[in-house]
Amino acid sequence: MILNNPSPGRPLTLTQRWSTLFTVLLAIGMFGLGLVLRAQITGAVAEYEDTRIGIRLTYPEKWLQDTNSGDYVFRVRDMTRAGFKTTIQISVQPVSSLTTERNVADQLARSRVLTLQDYRVLSISQSTLRDIPIEIVRYTYNDQSTSPFLQSFSTVVEGQDILTIQRGQAIIISFRAAADSFEDEYPVFDAFLSDLEF
Amino acid sequence: MQMSSNVKLRYFSQVVALCCLLLVVVMVPGTAQESVASPGQDVDRLKRATVFITQVESENLTTTCIGTGTLVSYDGLILTNAHHSVLSDSCPGDILFVSLTLTVGEAPVPKYRAEVVQSDIGLDLALLRITQDFDGRILERDSLPILPFVTLASELSVGIDDTVTMIGYPDIGNSPLNSPRGTLTSFVAERSGGDQSWLKVLTAGAESIPGTMSGGGVFSRDGELVGVLTSAPTPSGTSSTDCAIIEDSNVDGFINNNDRCVPLGGFISVARSVEFARPLVQAAALDLQVTSLTTPSFNVQTQGTPSISTPFFAPAVVNNQPTTVLRSAPAGTDSLFLFFDYRNMTPETVYEVRVTVDGIPNEALSLPPVRWSGGTNGLWYIGSAGQTRPNGRYEFRVFVDGELAMDAPAAIDVGGPALEQPQFANVTFGLLDQNGNLGGSGYVLPTGNTATARFIHRNMTPGQSWTSIWSFNGQRITASQVTSAWQDTGDINTTITNLQPAGGLQPGNYRLELFIDNSLSALGDFIVAGAQVGPLARVFTNIEFRRAESLTAEPNQTPGTNFPDGAHTLYAYFDWEQIEAGTLWTVQWSVDNQVFYRQTAPWSAPQSGSDFTMQLTAPGGLPDGTYKLELLINDILLTENEVSIGIGQLPIDRFNQSEGVRVRGQIVDVETNQGIEGVAFLVISELFSLEDFTWAENQLYALAITDREGYFEVDRPLEFDAPYSVLVEVDGYLPLGVDGFEISRARLAEEGGNPLELRIELTHD
Repeated sequence: MILNNPSPGRPLTLTQRWSTLFTVLLAIGMFGLGLVLRAQITGAVAEYEDTRIGIRLTYPEKWLQDTNSGDYVFRVRDMTRAGFKTTIQISVQPVSSLTTERNVADQLARSRVLTLQDYRVLSISQSTLRDIPIEIVRYTYNDQSTSPFLQSFSTVVEGQDILTIQRGQAIIISFRAAADSFEDEYPVFDAFLSDLEF
Repeated sequence: MQMSSNVKLRYFSQVVALCCLLLVVVMVPGTAQESVASPGQDVDRLKRATVFITQVESENLTTTCIGTGTLVSYDGLILTNAHHSVLSDSCPGDILFVSLTLTVGEAPVPKYRAEVVQSDIGLDLALLRITQDFDGRILERDSLPILPFVTLASELSVGIDDTVTMIGYPDIGNSPLNSPRGTLTSFVAERSGGDQSWLKVLTAGAESIPGTMSGGGVFSRDGELVGVLTSAPTPSGTSSTDCAIIEDSNVDGFINNNDRCVPLGGFISVARSVEFARPLVQAAALDLQVTSLTTPSFNVQTQGTPSISTPFFAPAVVNNQPTTVLRSAPAGTDSLFLFFDYRNMTPETVYEVRVTVDGIPNEALSLPPVRWSGGTNGLWYIGSAGQTRPNGRYEFRVFVDGELAMDAPAAIDVGGPALEQPQFANVTFGLLDQNGNLGGSGYVLPTGNTATARFIHRNMTPGQSWTSIWSFNGQRITASQVTSAWQDTGDINTTITNLQPAGGLQPGNYRLELFIDNSLSALGDFIVAGAQVGPLARVFTNIEFRRAESLTAEPNQTPGTNFPDGAHTLYAYFDWEQIEAGTLWTVQWSVDNQVFYRQTAPWSAPQSGSDFTMQLTAPGGLPDGTYKLELLINDILLTENEVSIGIGQLPIDRFNQSEGVRVRGQIVDVETNQGIEGVAFLVISELFSLEDFTWAENQLYALAITDREGYFEVDRPLEFDAPYSVLVEVDGYLPLGVDGFEISRARLAEEGGNPLELRIELTHD
């Protein structure tokens, strides 16, 4: 929009002043509305509840959700992301009364080293999630899960598992992202954890 | 489980608009196809489903055997020969590498490792499953990409002179796939599987098919797998044409005659009918394993060198028995079979039949070196039916392990008029009832006092000398020999003869030979087993099924015929009576009437007993279905029983589809024209539109991710005329989507056939 002052040196009329102010305010308002709409779209979440497993959660709305696998009970992937698809998944496995979170972490490491290329555990630490004791495992591996008929480089993936034992089963919450964007993506996982009920 | 209502896509209208503006779908002709490809035959798909198999010794990673295989399921099942994949003396490698043709026209590239999951050494068929990545990393079943595969012909749908395509690797892995087209020239009949046991093939230009293509597929004009190219290297075949020294296997720094010679096999001219592979494929696809838990009481292993004897010709085969013995055959003969007895054969024995007509080799009747599939001892036949043969003197020479196994060739003259010669034919066995009728199953008789044979006679003249001799377990019963003068039977053209040995009929293998003027005219084999129930033999009884929760768990005490789903292991029990050790018996398992296990083996348990135990299991649990166990001797069904698990019907595998539109292409940046890596190409099921799509994976039909050059391949063929929706959305670019992505057969043909190539341009947002 272009505002012309028809006669330099002549003061604006009251109407013109109100028009200018209104225009500026309208522009600011529209900008703000755009931001809100954008935030609604990009920050929109979908809800998910599985009473069988006993979990309730929210996840980014346009992430591809899957619950039809024997390996996990819930998984979402950001399919709009180029390269490795940032993934959050929850799996459960039965444990004995003597099993600790650390035992589960070690067992996971032993099985993953057979199935994930160049799997390395970076760290294992204890913490709490809303007063629930958890084990945090950070790891890395090379992802090569592409069609054999295509030519793709493997991607270095960084992952973090949150392990806890609840009601006789180990709950493993995993977050995986390309190593070079792990930190940028991590807030999504933080938000996921903050809404997660189990 | 609940989904919030705000999950619905909001951009449907913008996507539709963008589709109109930005989606540029450029149909370009597919890669060069065989110029004479048959309609319905997607040669590109067949080639992609063909793999190169390298068996390697883990100790020093040197090659031990090589061959070709064909993917027969999307989850990595490979059908191939056993002789180059299953661990043996000639192929001692313990790792199987699988190489794929990534680009048609180029040599295969190693990608995976596989394991043998089903095999039949004698039939020379094996099913491999891809279980590891090339580097040895374990591949979980659902982490393996959906692979291209071919379908087995539902029945042997090809006939003589039909065009077929043969696909395999022509050398030790240096060259691209060879896919000559040719003709099915004849069928070879064999005791192993009847009239269509082997398919004789000839390339259009009569070029030789190299031995490394063994294990590759023979495809009909519809692109269905009808046979497996087969040529077993002979143990003594160590000439330079039969094997190749390609690596320093003894690690002495030199490649010379001290190194392992990798067997290549001779030129191929036959394919094993796919009918033999079907049970193996079915068992492997369902992960079913059958194990006999009853400990053998007798060792029925071979002793001595393999040999054959008593060759003769017959014009037809009934229940694996010769109808009569031919001395000569008239002009126009279209069926001719060579019968012979065999001893001490093993599944690894290689046999070959060379036929000459008037001294000239006849390829159509000959059988190149192949594995033996008949067990240890017995009566074998090979020949052909329904194929008119020219006049001439036919000479058959049988080779065993590369050595001529006959003192003189078996010869017969074909030509001239049909002679009215005295003849016996069609010997069948049973027990006579009070009315003089022969009853029973024909070739399995119960233990008792008498066995009766009935046979047809033609052109016999009263007073003519004829002889009958019975044999038991390969030894003639001297006392049974009867020579007499033929008596006129009037209008009746059948007669009978009896065996009444002292002490009754003992369980075992019996034979009746009939001679006219001291020349063999007919013979028949039968087995005596079981107790007598009327004219029939009661051999196997009381089949029971019990289930167990795991492989190691004890089976339930209560037998049943209907179990809930979740059964991990099924046990089958049966009782048996009066079976002689070494008697060939057959056990056959099927699920929903599809046979997945059939094995004929010498009986090795005690003569009578109870609770012979078989175990049927699957690592992930037995799939729902109706399972049937059948027990046979001499191909006579003696008893059967079935049990249903879960809903009593096999689950439908929605991925098991190889026909349709194969979609691939490239996604590029519209400004730079460079491919975009890691973009998801989502094909939404025809049940959902873009507006209905809630980003649930079960709404997807297929999914593809672009590679570093932006290329993608949809892993499942799209069904014709199904209105899919397609969505391409990636950060930094405007999303693209379209409903009604529908391809008809006509449209695909217009675009040059499979695969359908797309080029998609994305614009920065």
